Amino acid sequence: MTTEPTAVIHDIGYRHYDGPRLGRGNATMALAVQSLRGTFGLGRAIRAKIMPLLLIAIMFMPVVVSIGVMAVAKERILPYPQYMVFMQAVIAVFLAAQSPYLVAPDLRFRVLPLYLSRPLTVTDYVVAKLSALTVALFLLTAVPLTVMFIGELLVDLPGGARTGDYLASIGGSVVSAVLLASIGVVLASLTPRRGLGVASVIAFYMFTAAVSGMFNGILSSTGHDSLAPWALLLNPFFLTDAVQSGLFGTDPSVGDGYPAGLWTCLILLAEVAVAVSGILLRYRKAAA
Amino acid sequence: MNGVVAEITYRAMLGRKRIWLLVLLPLALVVIAALIGMIGGADERTAVLLMKTFAIGTMLPLLGLIAGTGVIAPEIEDGTIIHLLAKPISRPVIVLTKFVVAASLIAVFAGVSTYAAAYLLARGDSGVANGFALGAVVGAIAYAAVFLLLGVVTRHAVTVGVIYALVWEGVVGGYVPGARKFSIQQWAQTVADHVSSSAFFKADVSLGFALPAMLIVTVGALVWAGQRLRSLSLTGDD
Repeated sequence: MTTEPTAVIHDIGYRHYDGPRLGRGNATMALAVQSLRGTFGLGRAIRAKIMPLLLIAIMFMPVVVSIGVMAVAKERILPYPQYMVFMQAVIAVFLAAQSPYLVAPDLRFRVLPLYLSRPLTVTDYVVAKLSALTVALFLLTAVPLTVMFIGELLVDLPGGARTGDYLASIGGSVVSAVLLASIGVVLASLTPRRGLGVASVIAFYMFTAAVSGMFNGILSSTGHDSLAPWALLLNPFFLTDAVQSGLFGTDPSVGDGYPAGLWTCLILLAEVAVAVSGILLRYRKAAA
Repeated sequence: MNGVVAEITYRAMLGRKRIWLLVLLPLALVVIAALIGMIGGADERTAVLLMKTFAIGTMLPLLGLIAGTGVIAPEIEDGTIIHLLAKPISRPVIVLTKFVVAASLIAVFAGVSTYAAAYLLARGDSGVANGFALGAVVGAIAYAAVFLLLGVVTRHAVTVGVIYALVWEGVVGGYVPGARKFSIQQWAQTVADHVSSSAFFKADVSLGFALPAMLIVTVGALVWAGQRLRSLSLTGDD
């Protein structure tokens, strides 16, 4: 007597993928592009779009005012190299709001092993996230600057456009994007909670901004004039402004001048290096 | 007030990474005061500057943000709040308990460090230390209520709170004098000014406006948060 089979394996048509395998490079690129879109709320719920759009709108306000004044009063009011220092609070809020979005959910839901079961390595993951945030920050400042420059070209004031200043400010926004992105990701990756990540990034910014301004004032009022400019460099925005003025010869946006350009560049590189190695260390542990 | 809820909330606040931010910022304030003393800048004017820009202007809103949203927002975010909401405890009581926890934490951390830093710089001069410590405690209560409300109302409580503290109180308040009337840190400064007799310090908002405003904001935020928690929906976004 034969027994009825109790379990049957049905062929439901699973197939191997035999198309081209695109490899690590493409995987990294895909992750970077998806992360970049996410920082501006693209491909996410409508509530996630409100914040980036609002911040972009605020970033454009001084641009609109500046073009308007150039057209009506024939005056240049906002120098390009000072735009970033002027808008630092808004850029800091964008950084604080978006960098935890990039890293916190993956840590919180423990999906890193899923990424790493593909050809992607830990380093690729970090590179993708960092470059997404860098590009996002660059776009956040460079697009308004470019619009302002186009506006200036169209208004065509006597004396010609400030092309040199514009190019310097674009250079400055690349530098600041790299610095801010690495700081944002390293702070945000310390905690799997998004809210706490936002709080730590913004705490870092508010803390350094307050301390740098205060020590600059106190040092110069107590006669330590040579030390005072160094205190400014604590604020990442003044640090990039210092590097910008060191590299491209623009006027400092604050104070009477920064320490020599070589030192500010070295400090900036050191900060980026520390932040990036912090991220790599963190992910070596998180991936395990 | 519910003792058990309070105990659990205290444990959640003090037992996680959140504690680091709560400790580091006040510690930094005291260290900065000591540093300023070392470079020879310790006087009443510097003390007032440090208190205004750092203690009340930076540390207090940040502590408010971390503790005020921290007592309730993470629970809502990961859904564990339903265990609490399913208990026969009235929702306004839950809100009140969480508020007391947040306010007491901010008040202790901000108040003690503010007093210590001001005392390092100005000793007992003109009541600067007393004034700013009291201002920090009063500000802590208002910040705790407002940020607790934000934590109940929106999933992006911290970001919205940051925009309020940084953009409204910091940037807009810096340029537009009228905006200072509606800023918790200005109200805290008013209280500090009322106690201290320092010649270097003049608050922008009158005590007659600041105290009622603070009371209305605190009570209003708590009532609203209590109502809101009665019909909380736990749907997620991104």
